Formats: sequence, C-alpha cells, structure tokens
Amino acid sequence: MEATKGSRARSMFSQNAIWIVLILLIAAITVMDTNFLSVTTFRDMLIQSSTRLIIALGAAFILITAGTDLSAGRVVGLTAVVSASMLQSSDYANKFFPDLPHLPLILPIAIAIVVGLIVGLINGIIVSRFNVPPFIATLGTMVAVYGANSLYFDMPPNQSQPIGGLRKDFSELGIGSIGSGEWSLPYIVLIAIFVAFIVWVVFNKTTLGKNMYAIGGNIQAAHVSGINVAKCLMWIYGIAGALYGLAGVLEAARTGGATNNYGNMYELDAIAACVVGGVSTTGGVGRVKGVVAGVLIFTVINYGLTYIGVSPYWQLIIKGAIIVVAVAFDIRKYVAKK
Amino acid sequence: MKKWTVALVAGAVLLTAAGCGNNNNGGSGGGSLPKTGVAIYKFDDTFMSGVRNSITKAAEGNVKVDIVDSQNSQPTQNDKVDLFITKKVKAMAINPVDRTAAGVIIDKAQKADIPVVFINREPLADDLAKWDKAFFVGAKAEESGTMEGEIVADYWKSHPEADKNGDGVLQYVMLKGEPGHQDAELRTKFSIQAIEDAGIKVQKLAEDTAMWDRVKGQEKMAAFLGSHGDKIEAVLANNDDMALGAIEALKAAGYFKGDKKMPVVGVDATDPAMQALKDGTMLGTVLNDADNQGKATVMLMKVLAAGETPTKENTGYDITDGKYVWIPYQKVTQESAK
Repeated sequence: MEATKGSRARSMFSQNAIWIVLILLIAAITVMDTNFLSVTTFRDMLIQSSTRLIIALGAAFILITAGTDLSAGRVVGLTAVVSASMLQSSDYANKFFPDLPHLPLILPIAIAIVVGLIVGLINGIIVSRFNVPPFIATLGTMVAVYGANSLYFDMPPNQSQPIGGLRKDFSELGIGSIGSGEWSLPYIVLIAIFVAFIVWVVFNKTTLGKNMYAIGGNIQAAHVSGINVAKCLMWIYGIAGALYGLAGVLEAARTGGATNNYGNMYELDAIAACVVGGVSTTGGVGRVKGVVAGVLIFTVINYGLTYIGVSPYWQLIIKGAIIVVAVAFDIRKYVAKK
Repeated sequence: MKKWTVALVAGAVLLTAAGCGNNNNGGSGGGSLPKTGVAIYKFDDTFMSGVRNSITKAAEGNVKVDIVDSQNSQPTQNDKVDLFITKKVKAMAINPVDRTAAGVIIDKAQKADIPVVFINREPLADDLAKWDKAFFVGAKAEESGTMEGEIVADYWKSHPEADKNGDGVLQYVMLKGEPGHQDAELRTKFSIQAIEDAGIKVQKLAEDTAMWDRVKGQEKMAAFLGSHGDKIEAVLANNDDMALGAIEALKAAGYFKGDKKMPVVGVDATDPAMQALKDGTMLGTVLNDADNQGKATVMLMKVLAAGETPTKENTGYDITDGKYVWIPYQKVTQESAK
C-alpha cells in the first residue's frame, strides 16, 4: 500500500518535473532581471511558441508511432514560399505571379496546407508500403522537398529573390490580435491553442489516436489485433505534414516574407521539444500537455536568456544539455519498465 | 529525488551561464547610457563579425548595446526585434537576414516608436521610405568593383611592360562568384567598366565561376593558363579567396619568380590576402570597411536614442537623402599593406 502511494507520488512528480524545470528557469531569469516578469514578455513568448508548437505537435504524432520526421523544417519552408507567392499585394513591384488576381485569403492558405499534407502522405506511403525506415524516408523527402522548393523559388520572374510585399490581411494573421495593448489576444496564439485542442482530441478521443499509441507501443501486436497499420501510418504522416504546412503559412505571415531557406532545421527543435516534453523516442508514449511544456521550455531559453543577455553560444550549450538530460531520463524510465 | 537533481542542475547551469553572459556584455554597460539593441543576421559570418566587434568597441561610453544572433533565420530575427521592443530599447540596429523582411520590421518599430537602423543589407527603397526614423548604413556594392578595376588600371598605366604582347589592349581573365549573386554580377561589371573608363581597351580571354572558392579558383586558373598561357595580362577575381587560388595556379606555372609577373586583384582584404600583398604576389584588394560601418551604426543609434535628427555634425558621417549613410570601400595595395 505504502509502496503504491510512493510510486504514485513519484510518477506524479515525473509527470510534472518538466513544469518544475520551466518554473525554475523563469524564476532564475527573473532573479537576473526583475523586469522579465511582465505581461508583454509572456505575451511575446506565447507568440514565439505558436508556430513551434504546431510543428512539434506534428512531430509528436510521428514520434509516438516510434518514427522520426526530418522533413518538417523543409515542408515549413516550402509552404511558406507557396503561400507567400500567392499572397503579395497587387502594387508590389516584384511579384512572384505578376498577373495573379486578388485571391480570397483562405485559398492560398488551403493550397499550402494541402501541399504539406501531400508531402506527409508521401512520407507515410514510403514508410508504410515500402517499409523504408522513417529516418531514411524522411531524410529523402527533406532533401527532395528543399530541391522542389528551390526550383519553384527560382522560377522566372522571381529567380530566387526573397518574396516580399505580402498582403496586409495576410500579415495581419501573423502579427495582428483581437483587441490592442498588452492584454490583447494574438491570432497566432489562438490558432496554436485551437490546433493543440484538436490534436488533443485526436490523441485521446479517436480511433486513429488509439491506433497511433498501439502502433508505437508494439507494431506487431497492433497488426495482430486487426489495426490497418499501413493506412494509419499514412494518415498520421499526412496530418503531421498538414500541420507543418499551417506552420509554414504562419511563419510567412509573421515575418512578412519568405525564402526557400525558411524552416531550416526546425525539425530538430520540434523533436527536441517533444522529447523534453516526455514524448518517448521509443514510441507509444506522449501527451499534448508535455509537448506544450517542451515547446515553452525552449522558448523561455531562447527568449529569456537573450533577455538577460546570455551569450548565444552559451544558450546553445544549455539547450544541448537539457535535451540530453531529458532523454537520459526518458530512457531510464523505459529501462525501469522492462 | 533524482528529478530535483535535474531541476537543480538546470538551474545551476542557467545561473552560471547567465553570469558568463553578463561578463561578456559587461564591457559596454554603463549606468545612464541609453539602451540599444543590435540583431546580426548570423554570428559566424566573417565580415559581420568585424562589424559586430566594431559596434561593441564604438558603443563604449556612447550607448549600452545588446547584440543578438538571428541564426540566419528571418523568423528568429523577428523574435529578437519583438524582444527589443519589449525591453523598450531607445534605438535598434538590424542586419536583415532577408532584405524584403525589413518592411515588417519597420512596421513593428514604428508602432513602438523605436528608431531603426539597417546595416549592410539594404532594404527596398519603398520600405525604407515608410518611416522617417528608418535608416541604412552600408556600402555600395558596385563601388568594390570600380575600385578593383582602378587598381588594375593604375598598374597598367605605370607598368608599360604589363602589356606583354604590346598590342595596347589589356587581355584579362575573370573569376566570378556564385552566378546570380548581386555582388558577383556588380563586381564583374563595374571592375571592367572602371578599366575602360580609364581609357584602356580590354579583351576578355575567359570568364568562369569559381563559386567564391579558393580551390575552385585554382582549378579554373590552371585551366585558363592551359588554354591562354602567356596571353593573359591580368586576373580579376570577385573575391580574395578566388584570387589566392589563382595565385597558387600561377605559382605552379612559374609566375612570381624573377620577372615573370601577373597582376591579380580581389575583394575583401582578408588576412591571407594581406599576407599575399606583403609577399608581392597579389597586386591589390578592396576593403569593405567593417570598422566604419560599426561606428556609423553606433553614432546613429546614439543620436536617435537622444531623440535628435542625425546630421553630419552629430554623427560624423554624411547622411544622404536623410536616410542613408554610405561607407566607402577602401583600396588596399602592396604599399598600403606594409
């Protein structure tokens, strides 16, 4: 009886260790500079977490199936360029499509998300039908997607010039908010919260979610128990791709431009946030709450350490240390279970 | 207990790092100096590191400066701009990752009423015209080409023996940087134009891209020597690395011994190039003046932070059209290198 109580307390603790680290980080930064504790800094950090969270949630889908997705960053770059290319204001001098009429905002965004979805489905097909290990499959698409994006980006008359002059209604999506002042609600944060909610529903309330955990836990068992593993995997990669697509659109909107180099290496940030947030690299384990915490930790490191003037080189060392420590603990849990 | 250890380790790492960070920035700190922020496009760019060092040095006693790394990512840079705004800096200097993104940065700065100085990468004129507190400090790319050409023209005029075949026409080969790169195109065009403007007839024997690269510069030059041999009377390279590669190929072909000479010019004034100037193998190079770009940036920020309008008197630099500070390139020759 006592033992269960102890282990329950300990498991509660290991569930929430990440939040404690987060609070400690914020406390330490506040000690260095008390101005850090303000509505504007937290608002800034939520804005900066938004696209990262959407990408990390996509990556979480795949990590939970015991896969990896290296193509995330390049898909973000592709969809940033695709959406930006169709959403330039009509009076901009160097338009990507000089004769493109004024499209309804939703159309290019939908096209970009579908492009992300298609790349994801291709990943899923390569992994599930051709049994290529996810690391290799997505390494391939990562390289190829960058190539495809560069080709598109290099088309005349653009010829590899950064795409700028984005429409006001589009950039408003990235930088606007409901209301004004420091308590206003940025659209981009609302979008991220909405996406997190949908993903939570998929993880916890749908058959696809259940199957995802089952595949990650034990793929043979999932197969034997009648799950169509190939089909599930395909859709899981597809959904992840669509999420990267949405994130790419928001990155373009937020910065008011796009180049083929957008999103470079974002996959590593996303995977790092997931594992720090308790998504197991061996599959079958992971919660939306954890991913949110993981993303927030990295934003606090990025933003907070810059805020108090820590050298960027030290920031990298701290980031690296946190990733390794988090995974070391994840593996310990796994070994203990066995 | 283990989890507490993790948390404590994370906290300890953070505090140590914060300490280090503060030490790094301590040099430019000061009690009553205005707070300013600088975002460099990436810290591992050689030239921008020169500008960065110059900013740190010039800031002493003028402004308190916070220099951050945008990691060659426009979204990251926008995050840093938000951070500066939240920290209520009095002025900021941005070295854009991509020049079209300056529009959004100016919007943000204008909304917060924080004057902004762009460094090195010139925003589109339309963007800069949006606000009277947006400025640009940088060099005119074509000037580097012009100066390179002038060095060759001066040599040609003062050394009659340089006209090896005595036909009164300068036979040259050109080593270009990456095709389509603005600097490569402008340097190629304006170096030749400067020679022609000096009243010298030219004939292009060969032109090829060596991708800014020393090894490729050597290979291309060896090929040029193979096909044109002693007909070549001058070597123009878009940068020093390619010029140094060409010098290696020329050495292998017996040049720079006895009276077998060849004028070779580059751009950048890198350390190895300075050594080559001292050795007498390279004829000249052109310096992009990082020192003055950094100083001018700091002086502008100082004046703007005080709420004044920048002029020649209060900054020490000419302000063109109320917005631009053009920092001239400088010729570096064998004499000035010693």
